[in-house]
Amino acid sequence: MGLYFRLISVQIRSQMQYRLQFVVDMLATMLISVASFFTIAFVMQRFGSVAGWSLGEIAFLYGMVETSFGVMDLLFSGFDPGNFGRQTRLGRFDQLLLRPASITLQVFGSEFTLRRLGRIFQGAAVFFFAISLVKPHWTLPHLLFLPFVFLSQVLFFGGLFIIGAALSFWTLEALEIVNIFTYGGTEMMAYPMHIYPSWLRNFFTYILPAIFLNYTPAIYLLNKPDPLHFPAYTPFLAPLAGFGVFFAALAFWNYGIRHYQSSGT
Amino acid sequence: MLAPLFFSLASRSFQRQIAYRAAALAGFFTNFFFGMLRAALLAALYNARPEMAGISLAGAVTFTGLTQAMIGVQSLFSWYEVMNSVYSGAVAGDLLKPMGYFRFWLAQDAGRALAQFFLRGLPMMLFYAIFFRITVPQTFGQWMAFVLSLGLAWLLCFAWRFWINLAGFWTPNALGLVRLGFILLYFFSGFLMPLRFFPDWFVQLSAFTPFPYMVNTVVEIYLGVLQGPQLLQALAQQAFWAVVMIGICQLTLSAGVRRLVILGG
Repeated sequence: MGLYFRLISVQIRSQMQYRLQFVVDMLATMLISVASFFTIAFVMQRFGSVAGWSLGEIAFLYGMVETSFGVMDLLFSGFDPGNFGRQTRLGRFDQLLLRPASITLQVFGSEFTLRRLGRIFQGAAVFFFAISLVKPHWTLPHLLFLPFVFLSQVLFFGGLFIIGAALSFWTLEALEIVNIFTYGGTEMMAYPMHIYPSWLRNFFTYILPAIFLNYTPAIYLLNKPDPLHFPAYTPFLAPLAGFGVFFAALAFWNYGIRHYQSSGT
Repeated sequence: MLAPLFFSLASRSFQRQIAYRAAALAGFFTNFFFGMLRAALLAALYNARPEMAGISLAGAVTFTGLTQAMIGVQSLFSWYEVMNSVYSGAVAGDLLKPMGYFRFWLAQDAGRALAQFFLRGLPMMLFYAIFFRITVPQTFGQWMAFVLSLGLAWLLCFAWRFWINLAGFWTPNALGLVRLGFILLYFFSGFLMPLRFFPDWFVQLSAFTPFPYMVNTVVEIYLGVLQGPQLLQALAQQAFWAVVMIGICQLTLSAGVRRLVILGG
């Protein structure tokens, strides 16, 4: 763990060297999510609701998933498939393999993209805006459950990044397809998932359990009716889905490393 | 006189794009996936309303297809080539070419856009026609207006991308600034939602910027929302902004070239 903090502190110091650059980058990252949220907020003024969910409730889904993805993106940027693929092509991964330290830890510590803080701030702002609109009647179990949902989402998205990074051991050109699950997943999870066609929803229920990470917990936390009629314990599957995907991803990553063949560049 | 040079640059760039077929395919499916999510969200918002602000549900679904098809053609999310060529030093050689620097990149972008039109744009509309109920222009005149509008939108959008890239002449790390330029485009162009769904003050504000003419106008002409004099006015506004933006590019470019210092190696 000492090594990890050493690696990260080097990252932070180097990014803070160009302070103005850092501020502009962070603003840009923040604005992109601000723009998306304002758009849906504006449009909902005209339409009223999204399939029975008010602006506050949509903001809850949106704020949760933006914040957890932002935190994941900050912590796991070393595994960011696009970036990791580039590093692999340049042979940097081979350099890491030669060092006498855990390869997973080294990749984990190889990037710490501070400008992602912009997305985290914006997500948190939307989340608190949601709370102020919805005013949920939370009891102790609700409040204890919330951090678990958050942690599960971070691990879920982190797992997707790790799977994407591992895929780059086999293909570099088709990596953009991973975006469907990472960025597509966030987009999808920001809305009540009963709005999607059933084949799509089933994929994100039984193949990739995205539905259990934000939508079903929100049904419990916001006391919403469940048009999909899941069993009553479904909201509490979030940690299982989050940790499950994360550990499956690590297993796949280790398998990938064992079968990795450098292109020699 | 320089037309052959223009065409040969464009066709080289076209071939370069065609060479990366797997990347184009991955990009296409990512775009289509996001399109499906956006279409589902709009269907949930419409919630059995026959129309909103003059756009039917089929029209709104078509809007998502058109805008997803335009991502590749207009390169709506990213384009850093001029900035990168300033940083790599390639700009020195390019400025010596017997062709204006703006036209040099315009030719290459024409080839890129045309390749993306066949790789991602046209297939997107075909996929949409298979998976969804979409609308098509009703008359030959409307088709012509659409094609003209798309061409003008590309020209204007290129000029904007070129202009923000010129920031590379002033600062050694313009990435954040160029990114900001893309966010403005993302928010004000009517890419995320048809501009008609936004509050009136937002629509009026965006009309003072070149952005709606890069996406929203093309969509409104395709959907048949703009007819007769309104349509002609929209085309004239697109042309006006394209001329203004190209003028701004040339002025900024000559100022940038004056301060450019190339280090010999």
